Amino acid sequence: MPLDILAQIAIGGVLIGGLYALFAFGLSLIYGVARILNFSHGTLLAIAGVLASILYGALGASPLALVAIITGLALAFFLFGWGFHDLLLAPLKRRNHFEASVGTVLTTVGALIVIGDVAATLAGPRPRNIPLRSDVIEIGDVLIPVSQAWMLAGIALLTVVLQLVLTRSWYGRAVRAVTQDHVGATICGVRSRAIHGITFGLGTALAAIAGVLYAMVYPVDPYTGFSLTVKAFTIIVLGGIGNLVGALAAGLFLGVAEAFTAFFWAPEWAPALSITLLLIILVAFPNGFGNTRKA
Amino acid sequence: MSRVNDPVAAIGASAAAARRPAPFVGAIVATLCVGAIALVPLLGVPYVTSLIFTLLVSFILAQSWDWVGGLAGYVNLGHFAYYGIGAYAFSIALAAGVPAPLCFVMAIAVVSTVAAILSFPLFRLKGDYFAFATLAILPLSELLAFNLVRLTGGADGVVLPPKYVLSQAFYTALAIAACTFALTVVLARSRFGYALKSIRNDEQAAEVVGIRIFPAKLGVMVLSAAAASLAGAVHAWQLSYIDPPTVFGLNVALVPVAMALFGGSGLLWGPMIGVALLFSIQQALLVNMTMLHATVYGLIILMIGRFMPGGLLRSRLVRSLPALRFLSREIHLDRQEPSRSTSTTRLPLPERKPSPSSELLVCRGLTKAFGGNIAVNNVDITIRQGEIVGLVGANGSGKTTLFNCISKVYEPTGELIFDGRNLAGLRRDQVSAVGVGRSFQNPRPFGDLTVAENVAIAATFRPGGPALPDALSEAASYAAFVGLGDRLDQRADSLSLQEKKSLELARALALHPKLLLVDEVASGLTPSEIRRFVEHIRDIREVYGITVIWVEHIFSALAQVVDRLIVLEQGQVIADAPLAEAVKDERVLAAYLGQVASKEGH
Repeated sequence: MPLDILAQIAIGGVLIGGLYALFAFGLSLIYGVARILNFSHGTLLAIAGVLASILYGALGASPLALVAIITGLALAFFLFGWGFHDLLLAPLKRRNHFEASVGTVLTTVGALIVIGDVAATLAGPRPRNIPLRSDVIEIGDVLIPVSQAWMLAGIALLTVVLQLVLTRSWYGRAVRAVTQDHVGATICGVRSRAIHGITFGLGTALAAIAGVLYAMVYPVDPYTGFSLTVKAFTIIVLGGIGNLVGALAAGLFLGVAEAFTAFFWAPEWAPALSITLLLIILVAFPNGFGNTRKA
Repeated sequence: MSRVNDPVAAIGASAAAARRPAPFVGAIVATLCVGAIALVPLLGVPYVTSLIFTLLVSFILAQSWDWVGGLAGYVNLGHFAYYGIGAYAFSIALAAGVPAPLCFVMAIAVVSTVAAILSFPLFRLKGDYFAFATLAILPLSELLAFNLVRLTGGADGVVLPPKYVLSQAFYTALAIAACTFALTVVLARSRFGYALKSIRNDEQAAEVVGIRIFPAKLGVMVLSAAAASLAGAVHAWQLSYIDPPTVFGLNVALVPVAMALFGGSGLLWGPMIGVALLFSIQQALLVNMTMLHATVYGLIILMIGRFMPGGLLRSRLVRSLPALRFLSREIHLDRQEPSRSTSTTRLPLPERKPSPSSELLVCRGLTKAFGGNIAVNNVDITIRQGEIVGLVGANGSGKTTLFNCISKVYEPTGELIFDGRNLAGLRRDQVSAVGVGRSFQNPRPFGDLTVAENVAIAATFRPGGPALPDALSEAASYAAFVGLGDRLDQRADSLSLQEKKSLELARALALHPKLLLVDEVASGLTPSEIRRFVEHIRDIREVYGITVIWVEHIFSALAQVVDRLIVLEQGQVIADAPLAEAVKDERVLAAYLGQVASKEGH
């Protein structure tokens, strides 16, 4: 096996893994702070990708349009996420434990189905992408598209910024306070419902950004969603809830592992990897939910 | 995990239980209903027949989902995968020429095996994680159905030999549905069902009263999967064609779950009413729409989740209408006679003659560390038969952790010998079975069960324990002993903190322990209540020969009854002496009563 082919596959894997990680950040953030497992997270990503593809065509396919689309969608999804949380999910917190958890699951799964179906009806079920023409960096026989290199740099930057926001800003401190002790934080004047809403919005915005970037590499259709949510969940289990660096590492690992599975075995089996991996981790490390779960 | 927290509901439930019609009335009504449905194919309208058929299949799925969801409290979102795998197993076998009855057996066999294997990883998870991981089983199954082309036909699916089987399929489905409902009734009142109900409330407490939880969870999962596989098989038989999206598709997969929850998970009539109502709504909507069918499914699921996760039958409307109230009744066991036995009668505990010379519990080098914090540090203690030992120490000195180590809530290092038997490697339920009973410092009763049921569970699950009806009458005497004799039919979550602590004591006694670990039961009691409680502890030893270790901060209470005092400080034993000596020990005074007391003592 020539080394350059392996390198080429690994680079493809790293790229998609970075996208997975970015996407998992959102889910991880929402789960870590608001304790809500948003089953519709992947569908939101797919919808963002579809919308971006339509807008990109309509706005005339320029890099400037792309920046505008990312900003616009991130903002719109932020508001959507906040509203979604406040209208549909926050009221469930008042119920008892069983009803709250079942209610949250059904609400987000229902949203997944509705969003996917409405989008498929309006935009059509066919896969769409954002066709970028870009130069290619050649290192020996290995080709790296410039746009993808930028994308990876952007993901790395976003990781650092997020980590800084969560550890250094007052928003981050409020988030940690609410996460550790909901009541205690409220007594100290932190508006925990707002923090949950903002975090939900932020996580959704991250899904939107990931969606636009995803559509630049792979075509997405409105039904892509759930398999991506599964991947994100595997990544948080591997990397630890609320641990962004862990998620990045886990995302890259999953991306590369999928790329090699597709190459050495068969592409149609690559999606099975994340679920199988998830089940194996659960058997091998019964308490192995990263570093935040206590006995 | 309690469902209904207001006491009004609890009282309503027990009042309704008193007016319950005799069982044979129920049996007659059930037979009539089944008979009426059996007449449907005779109408000769295939559309109606297949509609009712689909309704039956939905009921089997929703009801069998609720065995895991409502009884055991695990939200299995991948239940539909068992339906799909059952459909595939049946269709593949039938297409290969196997006779139909045998195909049903094969579907059950395949799906039960799959469910048993999946239970091992899945039941390591709880709550949202369990829900998520089970949901992930669906896309995995769909992927397998698409990719294992030689077995499943891939995207083309499996086509069954053309044959008109609607009425056979209908009667098969009716029989399965009737069995499913009958099994629900039996399960809710069985010992196995009570193991599941304990698990739903508190798994650790369930283990401590002697229930082996994993086999119970595995069992209910396999049972529920088997019923789902039959639903899938009979549906495939009637459809005569299946492909991956019809049997694994996410939007159809969650409808049975939504139906069960819409009616009221855990209630006898919940899944049935939920299926009937939601199915009608769905049909009315779908017939009138040409597109957005999945949106309708999704919206229904979303709305139930947002507004009615507890179910229609738990709503105020249903509970306030006398004619409908029986629907919202929770299933609790009826006791034979409302016995009001007083504490003067002897408890049904075995005769034990403790021999003070022999050791009951020996701890050697017992250590438990949480990260850097060594909560129990190299503890060596010996408890002889028939002793009452007080265990004291400041908050955080490791008393409760020591109890948790002995009852295996935590796995300690070091040696634990109980009654001549090494406890190393024993599970919590085994420790309880060899004779260690305990109460929890923060009481952990099974909140949505009655006081009588709470105690009866401990009685029935001890080695050689009686069957449930006898356990229930036995439970009454323990409850009376701790002063809960008039609260037997009330839900445990409606009790006050003190009453919950008393309930814990009754539950521990029902285990027939040789050693009783009592964790801070007296704090919060009035002086007269404390006196009575001290009497109880004395009786437990003098009359019934049970050895007691008692953790308590109220020193005056301890002083009345203990033979010996063990004092812990930062996880280490700093004193182990008869009461009179221990209270003179300077380190004890300093550690427990504070520096001031120690100085004043000089």
